[in-house]
Amino acid sequence: MAHAYVGKILRVDLSRGKTSVEPLNMNWARMFVGGKGLGAKYLYEELKPRIDAFSPENVLILMTGPLAGTTAPCTAKHVTITKSPHTGAFLDSYAGGYFGTELKFAGFDAIILKGKAKKPVYLWINNGQAQIKDANRLWGKDTHETERLIKEELGDREVKVASIGPAGENLVRFSCITNDLYRQAGRGGAGAVMGSKNLKAIAVRGTKGVSVPNIDEFIDLCKDIIANDVLKSPDNEWVIVDGTPAIIRMSNEAGILPTKNFQSGVFKDVDKIDAAAIRKVLVRRRACYSCPMACGNITLIRDGPFAGTMIEGPDYETLVLSGSNCLINDLGAIAKYNLLCDKLGIDTMTTGNLIAFAMECYEKGIITKKDTGGLELTFGNINAYMKMPELIAYRKAIGNTLAEGVQKAAVKIGKGSENFAVHVKGLEYPGYDPRGSISMALAYATSDRGACHERAWSVGSEAFGKLDPFITEGKAQLVSGTEDQYAVKWSLIVCDFYAIGYPNMSRLLSTATGWNVSEDELKLIGERIWNLTRLINVREGFIRKDDSLPERIASNPLPEGKAKGYVVKREDFEKMLDEYYKLRGWDREGRPTKEKLEQLGLSTKL
Amino acid sequence: MAKIDILVDKCIGCRLCEAVCSARLVGNFNSAQAAVYVESSLPEKALIRPFMCIHCDEHPCMDSCPVAAIVKNEETGLYVVDKSLCTSCGACVPACPYRGIRLAPVDKLAIKCDFCNGQPRCVDVCPKKTITII
Repeated sequence: MAHAYVGKILRVDLSRGKTSVEPLNMNWARMFVGGKGLGAKYLYEELKPRIDAFSPENVLILMTGPLAGTTAPCTAKHVTITKSPHTGAFLDSYAGGYFGTELKFAGFDAIILKGKAKKPVYLWINNGQAQIKDANRLWGKDTHETERLIKEELGDREVKVASIGPAGENLVRFSCITNDLYRQAGRGGAGAVMGSKNLKAIAVRGTKGVSVPNIDEFIDLCKDIIANDVLKSPDNEWVIVDGTPAIIRMSNEAGILPTKNFQSGVFKDVDKIDAAAIRKVLVRRRACYSCPMACGNITLIRDGPFAGTMIEGPDYETLVLSGSNCLINDLGAIAKYNLLCDKLGIDTMTTGNLIAFAMECYEKGIITKKDTGGLELTFGNINAYMKMPELIAYRKAIGNTLAEGVQKAAVKIGKGSENFAVHVKGLEYPGYDPRGSISMALAYATSDRGACHERAWSVGSEAFGKLDPFITEGKAQLVSGTEDQYAVKWSLIVCDFYAIGYPNMSRLLSTATGWNVSEDELKLIGERIWNLTRLINVREGFIRKDDSLPERIASNPLPEGKAKGYVVKREDFEKMLDEYYKLRGWDREGRPTKEKLEQLGLSTKL
Repeated sequence: MAKIDILVDKCIGCRLCEAVCSARLVGNFNSAQAAVYVESSLPEKALIRPFMCIHCDEHPCMDSCPVAAIVKNEETGLYVVDKSLCTSCGACVPACPYRGIRLAPVDKLAIKCDFCNGQPRCVDVCPKKTITII
């Protein structure tokens, strides 16, 4: 048994109401590390191809990384892996806080859930023991209330809870799982998969330990990395100073801040939602377990109609997609909306996109007050905006259509709305417009879970760095190299906000486990994992046409700012994609070749 | 006599103090076994802070113990728990106004800071200098 892992998996069969414990497959752990890679391996082996994501047969996996629970900096996140009801593709969704470390302390590296409970239940994991408990009185409750009631019932405030809100119960396809109040497995609808299984929450408490071969040597290594990299590297400075709101101004200056449903990349009221605005309402900073940076901004709105709203956030993606993208310039309104989404259990990124999409439909006359339940759903209308999370979570009026995600909503609404539904594989775009940072078009297109900025944040070296953001040369290499590196990072699991390189990933994993894992081996592991998630998607029927470029990004030039006049031309996009597939050793349809899979030690069965 | 000071506004809740404390006390990373513990009052209040023995002069914990399991180490001048004497009665817990002593969740015996032989590891690791020596 290697150190750092606790070596056990909790299996839960909700249909039969049974739990069991089995050893973690250490051969797989050596090949896929943990987190994303190891979770993807279990999903690949156990998911029956092309089933409905809401079928009881869908597999829901919560996986930690080997470093969770140790002093290794920024390693608290756990990942939820499943087949996404939002995209139909592979889904990995990460959440910080304290839940993942507590799971390790409770004696499990992972939980694998299947089946469907006959009535609402929650799972209680206490020091190696698991129990399926009645959740009848919790059904219908929001996430904060659920967390409070479970802690009360179990009589221990140190219990960590991951739960769904009403949206997950109502199978809203982008429902999140909330843990530690403000931390979400946000994207892709893992919360709806929980809802489909009648699983309201998972509560965990542990007093066991996580071991490493030489604990003093390991702590010294962590202290060295914290002092000389985490807190010293200029790449992490923004996290420490302001957290994610620091990026708002950078994006606006680069002309890539999504505004008015991606109709512009510049927001005239940017000063009302930027880092300086956040500082005015900041109460204190909050970190996840083992993170010395503390990106979390606990804010309190002190005056105006939303006075008294306290939340950890809002973060960049919420400020942009639910702020500038909806032309909402009131920070108090965004904070209140953010809290509503957290409690109802919906992803603020997708919800912001959907509201902006619906606002454009409304302004173009494609939908009317008859559809919106009487709301005057124009851009910037705070009253209408504030009612939308509830309409969506409870599937009322237009909310029922939007609850399916923008891709399905646009098909249903029709009348040309498909042309401004901005997504890849059904997952709505994040807050960086590729028209002013062309590599992001490729990053969103090739991301395994649909349009995601966390699989290759190439905008950092492009629009915010030294590379020309309007040319395609070298971008396929930039994106594929970053994807491999992030695949390792997401498997270790190290938080995306710590710009860790291969050398420190190698030192941490080797010292924690007693294995000797070189930088070169980590690069190979990254590529292996990226090919594995691709295999899952190919098996689910995704090919080249699904690695797509939204019509708005291809056809509507940005009207102002640094990227004024630019689109991502289809021929440029296809050129990058060709180059990318070639670099990856995939065929023209984006399928990994037999030779590539053999080289990576992956089974060739599709 | 050195004491611990806790600057409560600075804490970010990273709990690195718990991790290094448990490493020394039990040889692995195990927050539940640490002599320092971090609590948050969210979502009602934005309070996050570590609790631990600050090594006060009044030592009400010692005075409250019915079996004299909290003893003064004559060499260091520190009041420490003699686990072989502790009966888990818990009388010391409410006696301490700083919430600096508790019954450990695992063995239910009283646990409090012993100052790491003069160089507390929590002070050393705390990235925000929340825990300091005065």
